[in-house]
Amino acid sequence: MKLRSPYGRLDRPTGAPRALQLVRVLPVLILLALALLAGPDALSAQQTELPGSRVGEQSLRAYWHVFAAYTIVILLIGGWAVSIARRLRDVEDRLVD
Amino acid sequence: MTTVGVRRGATGLTLLGLAGLVGLYWLSFFWVSTEATQGVVQRIFYVHVPAAWTAFLAIGISALCSAVYLWLRDDRLDRAAMCAAEGGIVFATIVLTTGPLWGRIAWGTYWTWEPRLTLTLLLWFIFAGYFMVRSATDDPDKGKRYAAVVAIVGALDIPFIHLSVIWFRSLHPQPVVAKPEGPTLPGDMLTTLMFGLGTFTILFFGFFLFRYALEGLRAEADLRARRSAA
Repeated sequence: MKLRSPYGRLDRPTGAPRALQLVRVLPVLILLALALLAGPDALSAQQTELPGSRVGEQSLRAYWHVFAAYTIVILLIGGWAVSIARRLRDVEDRLVD
Repeated sequence: MTTVGVRRGATGLTLLGLAGLVGLYWLSFFWVSTEATQGVVQRIFYVHVPAAWTAFLAIGISALCSAVYLWLRDDRLDRAAMCAAEGGIVFATIVLTTGPLWGRIAWGTYWTWEPRLTLTLLLWFIFAGYFMVRSATDDPDKGKRYAAVVAIVGALDIPFIHLSVIWFRSLHPQPVVAKPEGPTLPGDMLTTLMFGLGTFTILFFGFFLFRYALEGLRAEADLRARRSAA
């Protein structure tokens, strides 16, 4: 339940308010750090991209194929992980019995 | 190493590998430049080639463990060979599914019976046969021995897969990294590819260790069951 102070402001619970603020800010800081680290390289990498006329030639189908390939990788690796985890749990159950 | 130690190592490697996979996807989609002639579909290369390398590594480990198993008859080697073979099948499946997706755009067809594709498919079938042979005999030791021979024969296919694009007239692109005069890829593409190779290798070893721990526990459970039956 939220507490209301006599001045009408919402009081924070007496936990660690600074830590909470840090947790809220942390993802933004990480994203900024990543952008700063990758920024110049990413910029130089993008400069060698296709000229504008060639970009238009890229069909949407090529993008779908790339996304499908990357999804297959996640599905197969994830499937293998789930399969190992299930078998591990079954064997552990057998050992407990 | 104890099963607990193996699982601890497996957890560390798997988490590192999964973090690497996130990094690889970020590099592939947002950082690396688009190849000038093939366009965006060339980005499949950053998962296709590392998967091929990892499949060959896994199958190589499986064949090596199988060969030593035939010599020493140590069940731990047979277990390691089987775990590596399972990884080989998974990564070979990634190769055989992502490659045709690239081929559809680059060649206009999902599949063509050219040497490298055919030999890779043959490798997949040999290792599918590896698991069938293991369970096809009444005597488990005989199944292990037959499977070890299949793993060694299957691994002999790998040099042919690599050299097929040089020996035969092939549609498949020539090597761009493993060649005598060194890699000919631009820097950012080579970085992304190498990052992918490292990530897939770490992931394979993480899952391999989990799988090895699983087989160790299964052997222990079977032993307990036999003892209680006796």
